[in-house]
Amino acid sequence: MGATFIGVRHHSPACARLVARVIERLRPAYVLVEGACDMNGRLDELLLDHELPVAIFTSYRDGQRWSASWAPFCAYSPEWVALTTGRAAGAQLRFIDLPAWHPALSQRSNRYADAEQRYSGAIERLCRTFTVDNVDALWDHLFEVPPDDDIEERLAAYFDLVRGESAAGPQDAAREAYMARWVAAAVADAGARPVVVVTGGFHRPALVRLAGRVAGGEPDAPGPVAPVALADLAGPAASRPAWPEVPGLPEGAAGGSYLVPYSFRRLDAFDGYQSGMPSPGYYQRLWEAGPQAAADGLVAAVVGRLRARHQVVSTADLVAARASAQALALVRGHRHTARVDVLDGLATALVGEALDVPLPWANRGALSAGTHPAIVEMVAVLSGDRAGRLHPATPLPPLVHDVQALLVRHELDGERRVTLRLRTAADLVRSRILHRLRVLEIPGCTRRSGPATGIDPVLAEEWHLCPDDTQLPAIIEAGGYGRVLDEAADAVLAERIADAEGDVERLAGALFDAALCGSGELSDQVLHDARRAVAAATAIGPVGRVLAVVLALWRHDDLLGTARSSTLAAVVEAAVRRILWLAEGVRGGAAPADRPRIEALVAVRDALVHAGPAVGLDRAAAIEVAARIAGAADAPPDLRGAAFGFGWSLGGRVEPVRAVRGAFAPASAGDWLAGLFALAREEVLAAGGVLDLLDDLLCAMGEQEFLIALPALRQAFAYFPPRERETIAERLLERRGVAGSGRALLRLPAAADLIAAGRALDDQVEAVLTREGLIRA
Amino acid sequence: MSDTPRVQRPPAERRYREELARLAAEDTAERPPGWALSLQAARRFILGDEAAGIRRKFVGDPSLIDRALVSLATNRGLMLVGEPGTAKSLLSELLAAAVSGNSTLTIQGGAATTEDQIKYSWNYALLVAEGPSRRSLVPAPLLRGMAEGTVVRFEEITRCPLEVQDCLLSPLSDRVLAVPELTGDDAMVFAREGFNIIATANTRDRGVNDMSSALKRRFNFETVFPIADLDTELSLVADEAGELLRRSGVAALPPRDLLEVLVLAFRELRTGQTARGDAMEQMSAVMSTAEAVSVAHAVGLRGWFLRGEPGNAADLVSCLAGTAAKDSPEDLARLRRYLEQQASWRTGEQWRALHAARHLLPG
Repeated sequence: MGATFIGVRHHSPACARLVARVIERLRPAYVLVEGACDMNGRLDELLLDHELPVAIFTSYRDGQRWSASWAPFCAYSPEWVALTTGRAAGAQLRFIDLPAWHPALSQRSNRYADAEQRYSGAIERLCRTFTVDNVDALWDHLFEVPPDDDIEERLAAYFDLVRGESAAGPQDAAREAYMARWVAAAVADAGARPVVVVTGGFHRPALVRLAGRVAGGEPDAPGPVAPVALADLAGPAASRPAWPEVPGLPEGAAGGSYLVPYSFRRLDAFDGYQSGMPSPGYYQRLWEAGPQAAADGLVAAVVGRLRARHQVVSTADLVAARASAQALALVRGHRHTARVDVLDGLATALVGEALDVPLPWANRGALSAGTHPAIVEMVAVLSGDRAGRLHPATPLPPLVHDVQALLVRHELDGERRVTLRLRTAADLVRSRILHRLRVLEIPGCTRRSGPATGIDPVLAEEWHLCPDDTQLPAIIEAGGYGRVLDEAADAVLAERIADAEGDVERLAGALFDAALCGSGELSDQVLHDARRAVAAATAIGPVGRVLAVVLALWRHDDLLGTARSSTLAAVVEAAVRRILWLAEGVRGGAAPADRPRIEALVAVRDALVHAGPAVGLDRAAAIEVAARIAGAADAPPDLRGAAFGFGWSLGGRVEPVRAVRGAFAPASAGDWLAGLFALAREEVLAAGGVLDLLDDLLCAMGEQEFLIALPALRQAFAYFPPRERETIAERLLERRGVAGSGRALLRLPAAADLIAAGRALDDQVEAVLTREGLIRA
Repeated sequence: MSDTPRVQRPPAERRYREELARLAAEDTAERPPGWALSLQAARRFILGDEAAGIRRKFVGDPSLIDRALVSLATNRGLMLVGEPGTAKSLLSELLAAAVSGNSTLTIQGGAATTEDQIKYSWNYALLVAEGPSRRSLVPAPLLRGMAEGTVVRFEEITRCPLEVQDCLLSPLSDRVLAVPELTGDDAMVFAREGFNIIATANTRDRGVNDMSSALKRRFNFETVFPIADLDTELSLVADEAGELLRRSGVAALPPRDLLEVLVLAFRELRTGQTARGDAMEQMSAVMSTAEAVSVAHAVGLRGWFLRGEPGNAADLVSCLAGTAAKDSPEDLARLRRYLEQQASWRTGEQWRALHAARHLLPG
């Protein structure tokens, strides 16, 4: 006998049914499954009575690379069905693919993502031919909805077409060569008994070809599940192919695999970039009860969910939804209403307004912001909320042991209060352990006090530790993030940074946590995400605050060890670019001075001065932007002043006297000056003529004008520290030829409001006297 | 079309006469009552069928067409909404041509649209001479569509005043139109099988006139989105602009990489996000595929008729100001900021040329 190759789409119920049928019919000696071969010794653990979905989690770390990947299984996974039916049929089970940490799988976080996504040309052509939106609709159309009759032939034809003549990339080629060696060895070992090979359909044509080559014959055109003649391999015992070696971890690398609970939410393509089939909740129903029941159940569940959310769904809507779904199935030639038919029918009936973003099942990928609430609920129903649970006998993930050992070793176990002095190395290590636990949201460790922003001079931390029953389950859950504590904390931080998307405060929080955890250098992907988060920010103030903090951490922080870190450098660079972009977009003329945005420009200036060349900032371009803002008539005065000061303080060519004259309208002068003083205080004091000009202009103001300008002027001069204010006062006295102390001038003899009230009274008296003809106006 | 050389743009049923005839002849599937084609054939007409030599006429999600056709077969009208320039009117024309073989029963909505233009009016000479009669009645598209059992198109429905829109209520729900001036059987026009309404509305017009919720309930809404895929949009722009330029007598078309810059810039300004992920302000002007085609056309014309060569990045900057920014100073400022700060970091010859030509933006 030879090998029977079944090419499947991962997480396809139709393929799972096929796998079960073939294995039950052939009762093979071996069932070979695409999966990490280093798990072969632990199949018993995998096949314990878990509540699905569960996943094999693998983490890996060496000098260059860090990766985490999952191989999820649900009840209708063809791989899972192959393992369970294979075992029931008495077959030997083997995973035959390279381990998840192997470089050939380095780009993949989900082993069972669709391989053909990497070679999308053929899929696009097929979608066009069958006029469907995307590969998911195509798959349902071709395989999940039609009867199973000749599914083997159709699957083979489909994957042959998808694979086409295109050569696989080197990574896929390496995996296929390796899998082919397992197949050859199993066939040789099985002798006359059959072998069933279950792999992703994309790999099947190559495996059939490779198996043929190993067998020495010219490869025939591969039939659907026609046994490939490998019997010769079993010939002389000496030339019998050996079982391939299971690659061991490279030297100096750390890694491992273990089981973790998984959930439908994570399986769903709408929630992630690298997933296989979407809507696990729907396919679970389909697997259990068939397509028609799944479609009916879907409509009922969506309507129930919407009504529970107090959305109005009338009976007429329900009728319309069902009628549309059935009509759509008819138009599309579906025997039963398929997933997209139901969804389209529901959308037609329930959405009575224009949508802001396209329907999520029309383009694959994550739900975008602005998706219609009814659509969000539909997708959630299809996704399902099932979460897996491991059998109690499953070995605990290594993270649990790692955490327990760390806590004991560093005397952090049990209930206690801990005070840590961050200047001492041992306490810094303990602090990092506790922060990592905090980042992983492990209950039972609370920080009472400690550094809050990274630039405050707090050198001690106080923690309250009280472990309880909830701690262990939380650590097991967190085991999905990594094998050891620092790895897991890094993974969570990376996820938080990726999720920040435009919310720079959250990004700043994550970055500061990273500093506290001692994760100074994060991966390139994280840098990329951090840059993206900053680039998507829409308010200038928060970006400015983040830049100021991050810049300080980058420049000075040796307590947490973040000085000159490349992560922070990337954030500095992105923030500078973003602030300049946002600043140029602020329009709308006169508005009161906005301190945060002025501070943002200050932060940019500081970044250019202190980190410019090291971080790769373009000083000339920044000065150009500032010059444009300073000259824009419709920019707010404070920003114009700040932009002018920006250029001045960076040595751009400016004419301060002319600029001050131009900006001196009573209503906005103070705001403009606030911007200027915030950025170019020293230049103003050093340059001749500016203070004199200001003095002249202020003296020339009328009483009313002065009162209008006064609050903003006060705010502007507040940017000068007392000593400099004194200098200004002395200059003013000097100009008027009065001998006296500047300091005395700065102190009013009475409170300002008292003087104002006195003056108002004077005015009133004068008005009365004038009216009565006692004085002449 | 060879038989109508002088018509600028014949209706879809004339442009694709052979295809429609072929589809009807080969059509074996059930047709909804009053339809010229079955749902499946109508679908093939719009989405194309390479094997049968049927051209694809609408670029977009096939599922949108399925839903639209199914809506038309039900007792609700079809409302196509979306940004301007997303080919809603083209889609409505194609649907009408496929369903009824006639896309000319069209009401163009506007501030001055009256019920007369929608339902019916009178030949006043005959009305005075003979009194109200079928002879003196001048049917407008809605009445004709109901009497003949064909699809009526209502373009830009939200540009009409609310009370005018609401005259569609009883034709849509009761499928009947009263003509109170006439008596007997003539006083009620009952819609024949095959009648339905396709309305279009711009999402940008939502503020001009809203729709009553009673009318909204009688329509199924379908949102038409800009083309999601860059390559598809680029080929569409290149094809359409090439066709226009050829008709304008231009021999040298703008280079493909320039069109790519144009299409990408349009997409970024439309979505308010750069390829790299920077968030920007969206333009208030419409940055649709149709606008991109017209800018590409203008770029080609400029290059050819001013200098006798293909259009270049400098032409693009000049054309962008007029076609994209129109008369809005805010949009002009956004465009300038985009050219200054977002064109500068890209690699590629045309992006660099675009950045270098930014000073050509007027103002």
